[in-house]
Amino acid sequence: MRSIVYYLREFFRPEWVRKFFFAKTAPLVAPSYFKDYPSLTGKECTQCLTCMMICPAPGAIAVLHKKGGWEPEIYPGHCIRCGLCVEACPEGVLSSGRILDVTSRDRTAFSSWYRLQVDDTLCMRCGNCCVSCPVNREVDPQLAGTGTSASDEVIMRIEGGRVTILHEEKCTGCKTCENNCPNRAIRVARMVEGIQGEEEAEA
Amino acid sequence: MSILQEIKNAVRSRSIHVAYVDVGSCNGCDIEVLACLAPRYDIEQYGIYVHNNPREADVLLVIGSVTPQWVDKLRDIWEKIPEPKAAVAIGNCPISGCVYARRGTLTTPPVENYIPIAAQVPGCPPRPTEILSAILSVAPLIYKDYEEKHR
Repeated sequence: MRSIVYYLREFFRPEWVRKFFFAKTAPLVAPSYFKDYPSLTGKECTQCLTCMMICPAPGAIAVLHKKGGWEPEIYPGHCIRCGLCVEACPEGVLSSGRILDVTSRDRTAFSSWYRLQVDDTLCMRCGNCCVSCPVNREVDPQLAGTGTSASDEVIMRIEGGRVTILHEEKCTGCKTCENNCPNRAIRVARMVEGIQGEEEAEA
Repeated sequence: MSILQEIKNAVRSRSIHVAYVDVGSCNGCDIEVLACLAPRYDIEQYGIYVHNNPREADVLLVIGSVTPQWVDKLRDIWEKIPEPKAAVAIGNCPISGCVYARRGTLTTPPVENYIPIAAQVPGCPPRPTEILSAILSVAPLIYKDYEEKHR
């Protein structure tokens, strides 16, 4: 009989009643290392668009001209919170979680370059790419028509009836050659490589 | 407000029944919804019950960018849910299509084109706490004083 009374009394303990009727686990907060949507740090954006180029989600980030200058904007319905824009930005305009702390501690960065590739089966050797390239035009103003050039400093020229790429590293990624190619034979690809421990790491 | 309505409000705030439907996603958001059921987040301590049956659901969690096979089925599911009802879009896919919103894709986001959406939880995937707080904040907007409003 007494045991039944003790048993029933258990259910009238205020602590038990509170635990039974209300949430038991503490309110859960996001941990400090959680990569939330990137937020602005207040540093000045130079509109290099590295963040937009590295973003894997379509329409997630745009660099907009606001009153105080250029400013990246994140769209939450599109952003996948991968944090690549935070890592890639050379100015540290964006921050998210502890990405900036980790990259400065480990001295990691992204290095990027442009790769030019000509598909010889599609290329018809018109030389449009060599002529239209703004870098080529600056190096060799004589370059015209057939796309042949006497200068060795041009990015690409027609040599022996086919396009030869001489100085890939001078490419600025403007894709003028791609737009002027009549059958999409030339392709400009942006290559990105993660690097660590180099002093002058440019993104 | 009548006492009966107050009792209904109190009971309904602790009895939210949820069905979730994946209309073509990568399953990342499904796993986050399932993580809500796990002891760490424990969705049932807030009075939210996952039945996955539209006939007894109050809240429909829609996950994924809509594939063609789901267009009519999603409407059927929405019509099976008794009033009052609400749909919550979980993740980026039902909002924008996220990484599936590319040229030549078969999916046709956003999900708002097919059923009315009461709340959106962006993220790829969203945290379980974000899903939880979205359900908890959308439920009172729809179920509180329902009979008074729709007399």
